[in-house]
Amino acid sequence: MLTVMVAAGSLILVASDAAPDRIPSFVTWSAENIAAASSGDAFRGSLLAKRCDHCHGAEGFSPVASTPNLAGMNMLSIWKQLEDFRSHKRRSRPMEPIAESLTPRDVADVVSYYAELPVFPDPQDNRVFPGMQPEAGRAAVAARLVTFGDGERGIPPCQSCHGPVAYRVGVPSLMAQNGDYVLNQLEMFASRSRFNDINLPMRTIAALLSEDERRALAEYYGAGLGLQPAGSSGSK
Amino acid sequence: MNWRKVRIFVFTLLALCLIPATRYYQIDEPLLKLLRGSNHIDPLSLHLSGEFVENNLGTEQDADGSVTVRMIAQQYLFVPHCILVPAGVPVHLKITSADAVHSLTLNGTNYAVKTLPGTVSLAELQFPRTGDYKTVCREFCGAGHYAMRSEFKVVPRDQFPALRAGERGACVLQ
Ligand code: HEC
Ligand code: HEC
Ligand SMILES: [Cu+2]
Repeated sequence: MLTVMVAAGSLILVASDAAPDRIPSFVTWSAENIAAASSGDAFRGSLLAKRCDHCHGAEGFSPVASTPNLAGMNMLSIWKQLEDFRSHKRRSRPMEPIAESLTPRDVADVVSYYAELPVFPDPQDNRVFPGMQPEAGRAAVAARLVTFGDGERGIPPCQSCHGPVAYRVGVPSLMAQNGDYVLNQLEMFASRSRFNDINLPMRTIAALLSEDERRALAEYYGAGLGLQPAGSSGSK
Repeated sequence: MNWRKVRIFVFTLLALCLIPATRYYQIDEPLLKLLRGSNHIDPLSLHLSGEFVENNLGTEQDADGSVTVRMIAQQYLFVPHCILVPAGVPVHLKITSADAVHSLTLNGTNYAVKTLPGTVSLAELQFPRTGDYKTVCREFCGAGHYAMRSEFKVVPRDQFPALRAGERGACVLQ
């Protein structure tokens, strides 16, 4: 009898000790999800996007550097972000309630609209992109990380996942992204206050970068230098 | 019987055998397991459930003094990026891939573990000496392959932290 009780007691202990699974995102890149995310109606999306104009800009370029541009983004990547806002796996005071108010169909529609917007410059728009050109030395630091990464420290080149050289599924393009936003996200990944990257790639990479490198990378992308294939800009 | 046709058929068959014959080294344990259908794991949902959820990655202390290390290989990283293990104890490595074929190779040792999406590779390691062992991916896996490196930090047994159930060791305790 005693042994039975002891056994039961230790079972409870084990059960309460085991940490619950920490899930970064409920999204998986299954064929069904990819199909659902890619089947949006861009025209209907353009009507829904009226609600987003105010912050993300009428042409998908935000007037505030800490708010992301959405023009020309990969459909799957912004679809995932909206799903993560909806499930509170990515925290953001403005975006969580907005994403919650969208139906799955709305999400597919609005992302297909933003993905179609061009990234050409428009002087009549009040966008902040592209920002100031970084100083040459800092641009070179960033270009090296974007193009080659740092093999010694195990940092893969940004462009091998974020494009334009290669895109991994669900990875957002950074080519036309605002610098302040890029920096904020890198800081948040490094401190793990943004934790919705599946299998930890960005939390790992951002933590391996130095503070200075994160700033240089944000300036690089924010200045539009990511729009050129980075192989060439590295040596300039 | 048309011997000419038979000869051509047999010769073609032999020629076709040459292709796998030159690639036999790729047909190793995980692939055989995959073919047998055992040990299956969904590479797309490692983060949702099962033993490769993120808080179960890293080094686990086993009751018999050995440790179990769980890792994910993906384009173009091994996670966790720095693994902490004690010297001189058996290390049971369990690694799977989230995408392509990779190969975790530990510099300064003879260990190389191939990973395939859909299967768990098991390897029995042991590090007699302390130190930092760099790992590299030795299976070309795409644009960032050559930067796919990480590290095993082997510390003396008495410096390895005492892990409670549910706690996983990494270079920074997570
Ligand atoms: C009140 C301002 C505001 C409005 C309105 C707004 N957003 Fe946002 N959105 C933000 C901010 C700020 C962020 C960045 C959050 C962060 O810092 O993590 C963001 C982030 C996003 C992201 C993530 C982008 C990325 O690259 O990861 C998406 C996608 C997005 N918003 C879509 C929308 C859509 C679609 C709408 C309209 C239905 C919308 N937003 C309306 C402020 C807004
Ligand atoms: C191994 C692939 C990989 C590499 C290499 C990589 N990233 Fe990422 N990055 C990702 C993924 C995946 C996400 C999206 C995470 C998610 O699902 O929320 C991301 C997201 C980001 C974001 C947030 C973008 C947004 O729109 O919200 C920034 C900023 C970023 N990465 C910067 C970088 C920089 C700078 C580098 C180079 C030092 C880099 N990344 C290298 C995979 C990668
Ligand atoms: Cu690899």
